[in-house]
Amino acid sequence: MEPNDSNKNWSGKSRGGTLGYLSFVFLIKKLGVGAAYSLLAFVVIYYIPFAPKATSAIWKYSREILKNGRLKSLMFLYMNFFRLGQSIIDRVAVSAGKNNEYVFEFSEPADVSRVLNSSEGVVIIGAHFGNWEIGSPFFDKYSKEMMVVMMDYEYQNIKKILESQKKIDTFRVIPITENSFSYLFEIRDALSKGKYIAIQGDRLSKSEKHIDMEFMGSKAAFPLGPFVLATRLNAPVVFYFAVRTGYKRYRFEFTMAGDYSGEPHKMKEVALMKDYVATLERIVERYPEQWYNYYNFWNT
Amino acid sequence: MIDGALIEKINTILAEEFEVDSSIIKPEAPLMETLDLDSLDLVDMVVLIEHNFGFTVKAKDFVGIKSFGDFYQFINSRINGA
Repeated sequence: MEPNDSNKNWSGKSRGGTLGYLSFVFLIKKLGVGAAYSLLAFVVIYYIPFAPKATSAIWKYSREILKNGRLKSLMFLYMNFFRLGQSIIDRVAVSAGKNNEYVFEFSEPADVSRVLNSSEGVVIIGAHFGNWEIGSPFFDKYSKEMMVVMMDYEYQNIKKILESQKKIDTFRVIPITENSFSYLFEIRDALSKGKYIAIQGDRLSKSEKHIDMEFMGSKAAFPLGPFVLATRLNAPVVFYFAVRTGYKRYRFEFTMAGDYSGEPHKMKEVALMKDYVATLERIVERYPEQWYNYYNFWNT
Repeated sequence: MIDGALIEKINTILAEEFEVDSSIIKPEAPLMETLDLDSLDLVDMVVLIEHNFGFTVKAKDFVGIKSFGDFYQFINSRINGA
């Protein structure tokens, strides 16, 4: 199954220019996070009419999936954009050395700790939900390098911003480029060296193979790629989500994925995906406003 | 010269893994199109080669492999160190 409707998948482009981003960076460094949040409260109002695709996607999510009324959906839309802005501001603040101002809680079961502390490579599957990047510096405690798999376009955007700030991020990136398979080998080699491979399991890009799964009460397309990679390369899998639980407060939630090595060939990835979708659903139900997929995610 | 038994083994493995009729596998046939491979299938291909022939595959190994004939040559050269 391959998607062909551009509204049904992510275009590969993230909104927001470098100049706007750097303005916020300046404000965070000079006046603090609170001042940046205040500016954000006004910026969000601009985004509602001028980011129609994102607005439409979140409106549908609120109305059709969460079954909110019109007024509640309007408030939800504002909060969703505001939360996304807060998560970016918090990420910048933490990377600028303000992490002591934040409280980070870990929900890390014993089996997850054992795997993360072992010498073997681990596939960490996250989602465009919450603020997973804010947790990346904390993976240092395991003394293992994290490599993030992302679309090349997204990577180039991030690289431009980091270069303009003369900063190096806390993780390395394996970019996925069309017409090249080299990223597959980079992932395999990184796992064989005992590194962490972080990949998002929820966002579908154009022409990507997918499976429709029941998620939040409706069918939604999930990409097969991350799940095929994890099962074929025989790496242990951990689901990881970082949720904003309050002002300058985050919780990192880790869940150990099941062992599906005994499943029939080509059913392993389906079993892993089901496990992931169920875990993601539980956490999205608790923090619905931290869902940041700005395209028609559900087949409604 | 590639051993016929090796070609037979490769064809059997590929036909079984990628669920195609082995009769369509011919030396001059294009590998990717005939097996209908995409990047995810390539993961299977790499695992398959390493599991069945006992050597590690690198990204550059796939450069220049267009047909099944090229693929036989690649496997043969790696097995025999040619």
